[in-house]
Amino acid sequence: MTLKASQACAACKYQRRRCSSDCPLAPYFPADQPRLFQNAHKLFGRSNILSIIKPLDAERRAEAMRSIIYEANIRDRYPVHGCLGVVCQLQYQIWQVEAELRAAQAQLDMYRQMYYQQQLSTVAADDVPSQLELGMALPYIDALSLLHNNNTNDDDDAVASYSYNSYSSLYMDARDVWVEDTHAANNNNGSSMAFQSQLVASQPLEIQQEVVRDCDEMHPFFDTVDDRQSYVDSKEAYESSSEESLKDTTQSIEHVGENELKTAAACFTLTSVN
Amino acid sequence: MASSSYSNAPCAACKCLRRKCMPDCVFAPYFPPEEPQKFVNVHKIFGASNVSKLLNEVLPHQREDAVNSLAYEAEARLKDPVYGCVGAISVLQRQVMRLQRELDATNADLIRYACNEMPPQFGARSDTNEQNSGFYFPSQWNNNNDGSHEGGESSSM
Repeated sequence: MTLKASQACAACKYQRRRCSSDCPLAPYFPADQPRLFQNAHKLFGRSNILSIIKPLDAERRAEAMRSIIYEANIRDRYPVHGCLGVVCQLQYQIWQVEAELRAAQAQLDMYRQMYYQQQLSTVAADDVPSQLELGMALPYIDALSLLHNNNTNDDDDAVASYSYNSYSSLYMDARDVWVEDTHAANNNNGSSMAFQSQLVASQPLEIQQEVVRDCDEMHPFFDTVDDRQSYVDSKEAYESSSEESLKDTTQSIEHVGENELKTAAACFTLTSVN
Repeated sequence: MASSSYSNAPCAACKCLRRKCMPDCVFAPYFPPEEPQKFVNVHKIFGASNVSKLLNEVLPHQREDAVNSLAYEAEARLKDPVYGCVGAISVLQRQVMRLQRELDATNADLIRYACNEMPPQFGARSDTNEQNSGFYFPSQWNNNNDGSHEGGESSSM
């Protein structure tokens, strides 16, 4: 207990101050993680941090400190774009996934129609096999491979088309999006997200290459902020985010789909239908 | 006061700081006098000296982007002192996850159709209705009252 009481927090250690028992920053900057305070101090400064958290109650103060530390870590990682780069990258990902989802849902609607037509034709003539059974697998393969190829090309084009001029206007749009988020987050996010998708679709994003690469490794905010220890070790707090695992899942589904399709297609034989 | 050497109006930063705006002022290109609030916000949250150090650490052609991102973060922090722009990041991350889940489910349906299996009923998929599960936001971001997100479910903290 004596050892712990005498050990200064990272904030006081960094600034070579005496760390009192009621040091306001001590709970958030443990002595064994000096980098956290260094980043926060570099971006905000000690006095600004204190003035941000001062009017808050204890619970909200803890949350505020976590977000401050998170924001400072992001700025340390991306000195130019900081959190705004992350926001833009996420908006772009949303736009991508939404486009993919629309294509998949359109394909699904088509198959549903074909399925119900097949049901109707089965009722009308029970022992007549439909061409739908025979040809259904083929368009699906084409659509998936087309989607995958198109997304790859669009991704490269969108990232490559970086221009500083559009970034300034994108800042204005991101600010509006932030306002949309705060007001619409309590409700269904559909309208605000649609708004964001329109923004992203209308203006190609220009983000640093390293932001595009490293955002794939980012944790969601609430997981990252808790994982201080791993951040101290090797910035691994940003590793294997949901985006990375989701990408793997999508790819595995595509792969499985193609294998199953080939197997399924082999089961059918071409017959004439009148 | 002789100001014949300086034909330009002081930038918003020097106006706010009440100092002479020198020709080599680091803030002048990015904080025009027409946008005073931009520097006021940045100065309030980050401080002029921190901003100056940050700008000096990045390349000149990157400074405008750096200033814009700082202005965005400062404005977000002023509007939401607790989460700032990190709240927006959380919202977007959840949106990406939700959309990806929906995409995975749609692809699974497509596989079922391709394999000529019985299709699921329309709208019966549970994950499309799953808007609030794993919703980690505090009450201001979520209209759920189950309290599971209160203060954030930062389990690893």
